[in-house]
Amino acid sequence: MVGLVLRSPAGGGREGDTPLALKNTIRGRDIISCRDLSRGDAELIFSLTEEVVSGAARLENTLAERKIALIFVEPSTRTFQSFYVAARSLGAEVLSIHDPEVSSIAKGETLYDTMKMIEGYGADCIVLRHPARGAARFAAEVASVPVINAGSGSQEHPTQALLDVFTIKSKLGSVDGIRVGMLGDLRFSRTIPSLCYLLSNYSNVKTYFMAPPLLQVRREIELYLSERGVEYRKVVEVDEIREVMPELDVLYVTRIQKERFPDPTEYEKVKGSYVVDARLLSYGRRELGVMHPLPRVDELSPEVDKLPNAWYFEQARNGLPLRKALLYLILGEAG
Amino acid sequence: MSAESLLVRKIDWGTVLDHIPAWRADQVVRLLNLESLKRDADVSVIVLYNVPSRKLGRKDIVKLYHYMVSEEEAKILALVFPQITINYIRDWKVEKHSPGLPTEIVGKIRCPETTCITNVEREPATPRYIVMREHGVIACEYCDTLLEIERIPDFLRE
Ligand SMILES: [Zn+2]
Repeated sequence: MVGLVLRSPAGGGREGDTPLALKNTIRGRDIISCRDLSRGDAELIFSLTEEVVSGAARLENTLAERKIALIFVEPSTRTFQSFYVAARSLGAEVLSIHDPEVSSIAKGETLYDTMKMIEGYGADCIVLRHPARGAARFAAEVASVPVINAGSGSQEHPTQALLDVFTIKSKLGSVDGIRVGMLGDLRFSRTIPSLCYLLSNYSNVKTYFMAPPLLQVRREIELYLSERGVEYRKVVEVDEIREVMPELDVLYVTRIQKERFPDPTEYEKVKGSYVVDARLLSYGRRELGVMHPLPRVDELSPEVDKLPNAWYFEQARNGLPLRKALLYLILGEAG
Repeated sequence: MSAESLLVRKIDWGTVLDHIPAWRADQVVRLLNLESLKRDADVSVIVLYNVPSRKLGRKDIVKLYHYMVSEEEAKILALVFPQITINYIRDWKVEKHSPGLPTEIVGKIRCPETTCITNVEREPATPRYIVMREHGVIACEYCDTLLEIERIPDFLRE
């Protein structure tokens, strides 16, 4: 058992430290895909996140000697800021390549070279957002230090899924047995695969893929869920959406982007049917939780904001403590 | 005398790939990347299309004179063309080879997903696939995209 130091006083002293009675299975690891995370891994991250949220764990300055590189080869303000603030509040030095327009990447530097260069600067951990699928896996092969996937094209976004499932767990108390509807663009959303993979660790979870055929989940996700014995149902017809609403504990909404449709009239047809508003929620259970990775456009009506069903602001708030916990577990002392 | 022996003589040394589905010999040639042998003056390639076959009705045959197909190549051939027969010929002696199935394929195949890191220009990421025979697909180890085994010949790398 490795005792995790969860209550380091601000001065960095060890008095009053209370070890978390869990083995740190995350230390030194890459976080590339949620398929690599076991239920135990996720629960470890969640328990530390919970302590960060409640204030029981203060991780400030625990990574004072560390350098964390943030490489974002795609505009993303939210995830970048979340990682930046998390790293800085842990006391780590941050090396960042944020704006690909002005960096060496724009001049045609390969990801391979960027990884080699950033390692040369002494980074202890690399957080990567990249438009290519598989970029994070490749980067992890190139770099000798842990790589965290902050979004690899339309493939995965594991830290988003971690904070999503953490949110579900803290709202419902348990993830086992839940019914999750996923609505919108399931094909190009990077959060959906990660969420599916992570949920497959829990027992008796059922997912509903609510999307038109063009935007349904990719085949590898269906294959993975079948192999792991996770029940799922594709809800393609608009009328069916209302039908399944009463079954759901959580409705996870993603953005539908116009540019995904080869025919703009097809988009116009679909658009209205996938708007989550008070009327759609009236078909669901009273306690139904609505989640969204944000930012939203038109798919989530502001009228939902004031309803108790709106979980998405709390969900967004969980991003920072979760990323703090994760960085600490990867890079922090072994105890 | 069979139609086949009328068409082409036996070879004393090399590999004979028999029972290739009719008109798909070109895919075999591409899969083996035989053009890379251009400078190897000693190797001859004999391709027979649409030969009568008791087993298949019609079939293709590829004879590789003075060339031994590697174990890795043999495994991929057996995966893509389950009916194929691989015969090694040494001093006129024929040895039928039954390769196992590959669990992983490295290089050779281009990822069908255009946004995959292995398709990014100049990026030194070699495509690598896990073979999921029971599902009839291979899966890109970088981007997770699935490719049907029978479509592999359409995605061979140059
Ligand atoms: Zn790929």
